[in-house]
Amino acid sequence: MSGLRAPDTVRRAGGPPPGRPDPSAAAPRPQLGLAGWLRWAWRQLTSMRTALVLLFLLAVGSVPGSVLPQQGINPAAVQQYFANHPALAPWLNRLGLFNVFAAPWYAAIYLLLFISLAGCVVPRTVRLARSARALPPPAPRNLARLPSSARLETALPPQQALAAATAMLSARRFRLRASGDWVAAEKGYRREAGNLLFHLALLGVLASIGLGGLFGYKGDRLLVAGSTFADTATNLDVFHPGRLVSAADLAPFTVALDGFSASYLTSGPDRGQPAMFHANIRYASAPGAPTRAYDLQVNHPLVVDGVRVFLIGHGFAPVFRVTDGTGRVVFDQPVPFLAAETATYTSEGVIKVPGARPQQLGFVGVFLPTAVVRGGRLQSAFPAPLNPMVSLVSYAGDLGLGSGVPQSVYQLQTAQMRRLAVSPRPLAPGQSITLPRGYGTLTFTGYRQWVSLAITYDPGQLPALACAIAALAGLLLSFFVRRRRVFVRAREAGDGRTVVDIGALARSDAGGGFEAEFAELADSLRSSLSQKEGG
Amino acid sequence: MPANVGLAQLSNAFLVAALLSYSLAVLAFTGDFAFGRRRGAAAAGRTRARVPELVGAGAAEAAAAGDAAPGARPAPGPGAGDGPAPLPPGTGSAAAWTRRDAAASTWVRVALAVTVAGVAAHLAGVITRGLAVHRIPWGNMYEFVTALTCVAVIFFLGLMIRYQAYRLGLFVMGAVVVALGLAQTVIYTEAGPLVPALQSYWLSIHVTAMTLATGTYFVAAVLGVVYLFAERHARRAAKRERQVKRERQAKRERQAMRELQPAGGPGGADAIMRRLPGPEALDRLAYRTVMFAFPIWTFGIIAGAIWADQAWGRYWGWDPTETWAFITWVVYACFLHARATAGWRGRKAAVIQLIGFGCLVFNLIGVSLFITGLHSYAGLN
Repeated sequence: MSGLRAPDTVRRAGGPPPGRPDPSAAAPRPQLGLAGWLRWAWRQLTSMRTALVLLFLLAVGSVPGSVLPQQGINPAAVQQYFANHPALAPWLNRLGLFNVFAAPWYAAIYLLLFISLAGCVVPRTVRLARSARALPPPAPRNLARLPSSARLETALPPQQALAAATAMLSARRFRLRASGDWVAAEKGYRREAGNLLFHLALLGVLASIGLGGLFGYKGDRLLVAGSTFADTATNLDVFHPGRLVSAADLAPFTVALDGFSASYLTSGPDRGQPAMFHANIRYASAPGAPTRAYDLQVNHPLVVDGVRVFLIGHGFAPVFRVTDGTGRVVFDQPVPFLAAETATYTSEGVIKVPGARPQQLGFVGVFLPTAVVRGGRLQSAFPAPLNPMVSLVSYAGDLGLGSGVPQSVYQLQTAQMRRLAVSPRPLAPGQSITLPRGYGTLTFTGYRQWVSLAITYDPGQLPALACAIAALAGLLLSFFVRRRRVFVRAREAGDGRTVVDIGALARSDAGGGFEAEFAELADSLRSSLSQKEGG
Repeated sequence: MPANVGLAQLSNAFLVAALLSYSLAVLAFTGDFAFGRRRGAAAAGRTRARVPELVGAGAAEAAAAGDAAPGARPAPGPGAGDGPAPLPPGTGSAAAWTRRDAAASTWVRVALAVTVAGVAAHLAGVITRGLAVHRIPWGNMYEFVTALTCVAVIFFLGLMIRYQAYRLGLFVMGAVVVALGLAQTVIYTEAGPLVPALQSYWLSIHVTAMTLATGTYFVAAVLGVVYLFAERHARRAAKRERQVKRERQAKRERQAMRELQPAGGPGGADAIMRRLPGPEALDRLAYRTVMFAFPIWTFGIIAGAIWADQAWGRYWGWDPTETWAFITWVVYACFLHARATAGWRGRKAAVIQLIGFGCLVFNLIGVSLFITGLHSYAGLN
């Protein structure tokens, strides 16, 4: 390494400097063979400039992922976006902008970046390993030309002065090389090691994420109080298995929700803000295994066999009983309503009664946890169920369930249904509406709470953490260790005096402070020389 | 537990006092520019021989060692790259940044005293807020901005004293006054408990790291802006000098005796720039500041990922706030790399740094207010 001013960070600058041929691209100018082109491409890819551009692209490419709704995070919002922007959305979709972080172009950016990184870091690691026992370069002739230098005088003969310098540098754990009238010392190899560790650890983070993507899985499940679910693929509302995960790999635990409670601030400017959520659950690690109780809270997941269960949402499920025109009870169950608005938990949902005769029945409803009339309008004033009421719109006709087209349980297809003329009266628990034409009655019998649970398994989690910590450690080393060389020369100056020159340079001192270290080195050399003189 | 109203009011009073003190400090720093004595011209002759002060303690010690050890030479030379070269003196004229010029004037001493008083009030405000709400006092945007400006002032005080960069006080404290003032008026939030999602000890770890890093990045961004002005000034001054030289040459050829004065008198921007550290020094200072903040930011992201893993079941989910924290990290990484790449040093690197800070501010304000995500602190989704 001849460069005294080594670049602070990993790479060399991009192509050849303007006006000068790149000495390393040895292929003759006129015909660059395939190998030459490949080498050229590799050089371009692993150059710092390309890495910078790729880093920038990575940043810019991430922006749409935060601005547009994402399929992987909020599919409902994506559907909404399609509905609102029918012309634009298909084009955005073609560009993968609703699934940026899984889009091929995004993968291309980060894979190229990591290849570029590997292409730079791996050779450097090899070089560092080879230089692990390399000696510092010989001392330059004129130490006064180095960025830091000092001249001392002593009565000791040159060899003894050098021995003092060697002892001083050795005590400071410098790597030493001595010959004739000079000593060369170098220190701070951990800087490069830290730099490489940081970049290799980033590769490790990527690999860990990949591991999770292959062998991990995640699913969501909405669970109404009083019911139980077993962790199987069919029981999950949403199931995202890793590429190498089959349905049989799921941990066979069961979870039962006994009850859910939420408390809210009842005064102050943040009135209605949630203060605490508790879901009382019982779980068994396998069907038939003993059940245990657990108080599931936000930030306190349940862990079963390495799989974790999180409380990520809650809501109300009003219970309805529908008696049809023939007098049979054709429906009697809780219906989960989704919060349209979290500040007051005004929730919306749909009741479908395909078994009703003479006509199938459907209802679109709004659940108000704390119903009040304000300005002639019925609305919810608080998220807790202090005065629960339901307001419904009734339909009769064909629900369209037999058409074979899958339907959302939260949407009613009213194309083949008639709206029934029922006076729009909000129902309190226990109240009923009677449908016209003898279609039957509906009773709002009460409500239950539901929670939504996220079930996740990610084997890449711990490796990712380990790599992230390694990256941070590497970063700190590369930032705050400085690589520096110190040289000492001693020669006789006649009349029994010896001139001792000490010179030094920091090959990297981005953090600053080398001047102070050098002053301290020169000082301690001076005092050790004078001690020896005296003793 | 409900918030303690009395303590919360006390906190507000402390913070108003801090804002007032900082405003006074800005006035005093301005006064230093307007009325402080200019020593540039007098010190011109000595500058070259002197150690440029911005290297601070290190250089001072080296200089001291130099006095004791004959021949010890505290590092002259160009400041390119990150070698041990010291921060070179001021812009345009070599006279700008001398030891005596760097020494605190009366105005600066007043400004410093008022700043220290302000920071004491600021700290007291943050602490009483924490006592009022029985938790770490950076749980919402108002508290976050209040805390990060406190970090920025403390960090800058350290920087200013270590590097004797008193004149930068005007810019940093000016920005702090604006940020803290906006926090107290636009985004003020009453003291209150947190939503369940935030009730975790990871709040202390993750948000504390983010507060520290943001406060430090804040200082770096101000330095970056000052750098851009100083760099432009230096470029223009060099151009002017070249022009004047050329014209002198031409005049000489025509045997003209009249001497040309450099264009642009000592008024206006020139007078301000002449008293600031040179662009090289500013660049280096900004770089070191980012180097300090970047690992903290990295740690903050890791801590956030661990918390997200505990709260939401995944350590990374491309939530808008996460995405922007990542973008910010990538852009600052660009800055760190750009500074070591030929053709990207200087102005381009500074612009990248400011883009990084822009991303950070957008994450703090834009994403929190306009994009809903898990970090909207609205409780469960």
